[in-house]
Formats: sequence, structure tokens, C-alpha cells
Amino acid sequence: MRRLVFTLFAASSLWGQQPLNHPDNPFDGDPDAIERGKKVYMGSCGGCHGGTGEGGRGPNLRDGRLIRRSTDFQVLNTIKKGVPGSDMPPTNLPDERIWELVAYVRALGAPASETSPPGNPTRGEEVYRNAGCANCHAISGRGGALGPDLTNIGGTRSYGILRESIEKPGDRLTPGYQPVTVQMKDGRTLSGVVKNYTNYDLQMAGRDGQLHLFQIADLTDVQLSMKSLMPADYATRLSRDDMTDLLAYLSRRTLRPADARAARERRRQGR
Amino acid sequence: MIGAFLLAALPLAAQVTFEDLKASPNRNWLTYAGDYKGQRHSPLRRIDRSNVRNLVPKWTFHMETGRRLETVPLVYDGVMYVTNSNEIQALDARSGRRIWSYRDEQSEVNRVNRGAAILGDRVFFVAGDCTLIALDRRTGAVLWTKKYAGVDQGYFATLAPLAVKDRVVVGVGGGDTGNRGFVAAFSASTGEELWRLYTIPGKGEPGAETWSEKLLAWGGAATWLSGTYDPELNLVYWTTGNPWPDFYGGDRKGDNLWSCALLAIDPDTGKMKWAFQFTPHDTHDWDAQGWPVLIDMPYQGTMRKVVMHANRNGFYYILDRVTGEYLRATPFVDKLDWAKGIDAKGRPILVPGKDPSPNGTKACPSVRGASNWMSPSYNPETGLFYVVTLEQCDIYMSSAKEPVPMQNFAGGGGEQIPTEPGKFYLRALDPKTGSRVWEYPLTGPGIMWAGTVSTAGGVIFFGDDDGQLVAVDARDGRHLWHYQMGQQLFASPITYEVDGKQYVTIASQTDVFTFGLFEPAQPVKVLPGLSKTLE
Repeated sequence: MRRLVFTLFAASSLWGQQPLNHPDNPFDGDPDAIERGKKVYMGSCGGCHGGTGEGGRGPNLRDGRLIRRSTDFQVLNTIKKGVPGSDMPPTNLPDERIWELVAYVRALGAPASETSPPGNPTRGEEVYRNAGCANCHAISGRGGALGPDLTNIGGTRSYGILRESIEKPGDRLTPGYQPVTVQMKDGRTLSGVVKNYTNYDLQMAGRDGQLHLFQIADLTDVQLSMKSLMPADYATRLSRDDMTDLLAYLSRRTLRPADARAARERRRQGR
Repeated sequence: MIGAFLLAALPLAAQVTFEDLKASPNRNWLTYAGDYKGQRHSPLRRIDRSNVRNLVPKWTFHMETGRRLETVPLVYDGVMYVTNSNEIQALDARSGRRIWSYRDEQSEVNRVNRGAAILGDRVFFVAGDCTLIALDRRTGAVLWTKKYAGVDQGYFATLAPLAVKDRVVVGVGGGDTGNRGFVAAFSASTGEELWRLYTIPGKGEPGAETWSEKLLAWGGAATWLSGTYDPELNLVYWTTGNPWPDFYGGDRKGDNLWSCALLAIDPDTGKMKWAFQFTPHDTHDWDAQGWPVLIDMPYQGTMRKVVMHANRNGFYYILDRVTGEYLRATPFVDKLDWAKGIDAKGRPILVPGKDPSPNGTKACPSVRGASNWMSPSYNPETGLFYVVTLEQCDIYMSSAKEPVPMQNFAGGGGEQIPTEPGKFYLRALDPKTGSRVWEYPLTGPGIMWAGTVSTAGGVIFFGDDDGQLVAVDARDGRHLWHYQMGQQLFASPITYEVDGKQYVTIASQTDVFTFGLFEPAQPVKVLPGLSKTLE
């Protein structure tokens, strides 16, 4: 009973919101330690939590509040002691190995620019150009407007999310980028992506690069497509090296290449 | 192929030109003050003194992260740009529906934000940590960012940038905890810094003798409010804040140039053409951040280009805006006891014993000032200047502690006297004399920062101290209409037109409200294609 109470505390402390005066991870942001942590993760954790922490039998370790709201010490304790009543087992790894694992888990959810992604970013830029990404996406004002702006994508998305968005875009529609065709009262049609709509008005970016603001009373038909404009075949179209280099390039698209640790600390403190 | 088409098509898009900015406001509202001259007077007259009683809410936009919006929206071609701390939203100005949003999650600090600038196909705003951000106004895509001052040097930013010709002019906040104020200009196309003008002279420069040497680098004189601009004279008018430490002057003996001043700056070169200091050696935190409003008027028999300014120190000033010559100053509040008047050269005639002291000194106006950064307006048809004023005195305390920058030390402070709460008035002043033509007293707790907008329809809209948007007759201050917003107001209203309909907008603490004349609803046929996602 005593042990149960203790382990329950360890698990529930993951949700604790009060910062605790516990040791920081000595390996936080250390690329070598993150790489070592990754090996352990792939061997012991990825089976349940997913290859990039996206979740599965176990919770998502990349995007959720579970990780963001926990201190490094709380994550360490959860790994060490497991979560009673769940499939999460305890481990007898030495603390040093667990800290490396914690560093890796943190890197999973951190903006890609704060990690050290593998690959050649210069070659990645060529891949970006040759693959036609700029037809729809813009970086620093160069490119199209039918897909999300990528100028700061490495500063706002994790490496795992970036990879997933290219390899497996699936049917998920990014808000503001759903394809649309409208027909106006004079019979003309206009295609583009819809920014917002209600039964009474509609805002869209046309393929002409302009914004168009409509009142529904001025339209005779609206067709929303359920299929994203993002091609779904990049995973097969690009070689493995091309994909790695492309990700290396995109991961470095950040407006603020600030000190990664300081940035992470600010997020953790909710500032 | 699509991409090639888009890349070719984008530069052909309609651009907001310098000429457009000079013509604002019309149906658009393109600068923080609406017009370059800071008059905040709209030529729109569909809403007028006879029909404003039919004004009704048209839409509300909820700013999810809003806590205290101080923003003044811009409107161009049916799109409204509205800012909040580290973020900007583009809205359909007819319906309030969001088109795009941009949030700078990586900004080092959260600060209120007062608005954006627009030029070409770009909108500009500042993140709290003094990062100037240029976005494509149609898509919200980032074009460039420029960090122009460091939080670790005591700087932050809240202001709406001012776009002039091909450049964007900005300033800094942070003068209450020590920094060195400056105004700077950046290329609108690349973000390259074009010039930087410090408000405190460098060591050995003229005016440095008005400070102690140790405070030359930290004496404040921040530049936290946007400026006005005269295209004919090609001069930007920018105000400066208090010297630091705010309430203790013993470590900065002298006039402390150019704190509490108005600067006239050539936007091409960044050179100061002239400067005028309202409150030399200020010890009451009376930043000069009231709007410099530019009008031409006869004065003593000749037409003069003047700048009007209702200063926090309680005096209404007019200066020649070509030369900076002092013309006249008149008290615009009754609670003013720190100076007997202003002498022929524009210098206050001090009343002894009004400086802050360790045990407290009563002085008027209060720290918040007789007016402040809330926007005044000028109506050319009535010839009146409309200013929100605060009648209040404070107890001013001082501390002679060694000033350490960026430690929240201000050398003392001002406290409200519990038995003498402040009271706001909207006052209409005669620009020539500063005398009151009429006043409209406001109830409330004395904490608002809301300003005014004037319209050719003869209506003045303003936010009051009880959270109401109010419309009064520009001629005599007669009440015409009001609407309770449910929150305190810290922003100024604007007016614009889309599809032949005039709207009035003001931000409350967490929402943007837009009003228009009542129209019976027209039935809208539901289009099946829109509900496809629900199938």
C-alpha cells in the first residue's frame, strides 16, 4: 500500500503545475546525449509511444500537455518507476541513461530548429526547389500562397511533425488551406483556398494570389474539396537522403535562432 | 505551373502607396491616427448627428489571448488588421471573420500592442521584445523580421510603427527602468536599418551637459508612442518620455535634454531639425506622449503651420511646426499647481515645493497626467480640438537610492489620494487659445486610456471611463448615443467604410466591437456546398 501511494504520486506529479526545486537534466539540449537517448528510446519506448513520440498504445510524448507541463525530474521519475495500473513498466536503467532519454523526449516536442537534425541543409534547399514546394509555400516572401508559410516552420514545429506533414499528409486539412471553388452571380468561378466561411460570408485566397471576400448572398455555389492540395507521394517520390536533407533545410527555417535552452525554459515557465 | 503564375501575379497586386497614406482616412484607415497629421478626423458622413441614434452592433471579434487590448485597427480595402501582444489578425471588416493570424510565440516578452502600419503589400507590427515584423498583408506570410533593441538593455516595444515613403519608423519603451531612448527607421522592403536617432545626447555632444555623465546611457526619454508626419515639410514629429529615475532628480541635475520633448525629424536622414522640451528636469513622470496634432491656422494675423499638443503636465501648447518656435501655452485642467504658467520662451515658471519628497508631496496633475497617449482629435468643420482630460492630484514620493537600471527602480512614485479620486472629462478646446468651448464630464473609476475620433457627420466618438462607447455632437458635446461594452476601455475608436456602409470600431479589453446603422435583415439562401464537411 505504501508503495502504491508513492508510485501514484510519481505518476500524478506529471500533471503538477507548480515548479519544483528538483535537479535539471544535465544533458538538456546536448546533441550527443540526445542521440544516445534516441537509441534507448527506439529499443524500449517507440513500440508504445511511436517512432517520433506521436503516441499509440502509450500517450503522445511530443505535442501534449503531459510533457510540456512536467519538469525534467518528473519525467525522469515516471520513466524510472513506471505508471502503476497502466502498461508503463518501471526500469532499472541508471539515472544517467534515463536523463539522456529525457533529453531525447524533450527534443521530440521541441521546435525542430532547437534540435540538431541530421542531413545537409544546403542540398535540402535544392530538394525544396526541385520538388516544387515553392509552388504553394513561401519562405521569406518567395513562393506561393496556397499552402502555409514556411519562413518560421523550424521555429514552430517539431522535427517529427515536419516529417509527418511531408511523408504522410493524409487527408488532414490545414485550417485556412482547404481548396474551394465559388461561383458568382454573374457566372464566373474562382478557385483557391478558403480562409474562413459561414452560411453568410466567405473569405478566400485565390489562385490569383489575391484575397477575395464574399457575402454568400453574392454567390450561387460553393464547392469545398475534402482533399488537401499537398501531394501525398513525397515519401515515395523523394529518396531517403533527399527527405533527410529537405528536413534539415526546413528545420533551420527559424526567425529567431536564439539560445535553444533559454527558449525552452521560457516555454516551460509559460512566458 | 500554378507557382509560376502566382509568383508572376503577386507583384501586380494592388499596393498601398505613399499617396494612399497621405489621403487617409477616407473609406480606409491606414495609420494609427488615421491620418499623418494626427487629427483623427474622418470625412465619412453616412453616420451623422441625426442618425447615430440608430447605431447597432454589427460584429464582435474575440481575441482569444486578449487581456487588455490597446490596439487601434487599420482598415484597407475591406480588411481590418488588429494587433495584440506579439500577434496580429487580419479580419473581414464587414463580418469580423478571421482571414489569417500571425503570432510570434518566440518573443522574449509579452507587452500590450497598440497597432500596425501598412505600406505596399505589407503590414508591419512590433513584438514586445523590439522585433519589427513585416508580413504579406494578404496571406500573413513573414517577409522579414528585425530585432532593433535588446530586452537586456532595458528596451521593450508597444507602439504602432509609422510608415513614411519607403520606410518604417519605430521607437522604444522602457524609460521607467532605465535605457536610452531612440527613434529608428527601417527599409520597408528589406528591414535594413536606415538611421537611428538617440533622444539623449552622447558623451561630449551638445546637451550632454544637461545630465550627469553616468545617466547619459540610461536616462530614459523613451519613444513609446507613434508619431505624426507633415508630407510638405517632410518632418516626422515624435514625442519623448520621462528622464530616469522618474521621481528623483538628484542624480541627473540639469534639464535632461531631450526628455519630455517633441522632436521634429527628417525621415530621410534621421537628423533632428528642431526639438522643444515641455518639462525640463521632470520629476513627476510626465512623459510628453500626448499626440502632436498638425493644423494650419491664423495666429496673430498670419497663417501658421502649428503643432497642437495637450501635455501630461497640464498645459495645452501650440508651437510653430516649421521652426519649433514656442507660441503659446494654456492650462487645460483646473488641477494644476506645479507651475504658475509658461514664460515667453516656453519654459515653466515653477512653484517651489512641488518636487517629490521622501515623505510625499501633493502635486497636480497626477502621474497619469492631465491627458496622456489616448488619442485626441481635431474637427476642421467645428474648428475644435477634442481631448480626454483627467482632473487629479497625487502624492509624489522620492527615493535617493543609487539608480540601478532594469531593477524596477523609478526613484519613487505617485499615489492617488483616496479622498480625491480622479475625474475624466472630454473637453473641446479652441486651438488658438486653449480655452474650453464645452466639456462632457465622465463617471467612472478613473482608470481608462480610451481616446476619440471625429467625423464629418458631426459626431465625436470616444470611449468613457465606465466602458461605454459614446457619441456626442461635435458642436456642443450633446449626448447622441452610447453602448455599454461590458469592459473597461484602453483603446481609441476608428471609423471606415466598406460597400457604401460606414462602421465604427473600438477594441475592448478582450474583443473588437464594430457598429453600423441598423438595417433590416435580408434572408440569405443556404448553399449546400458549405455544409459538406458536416456530412
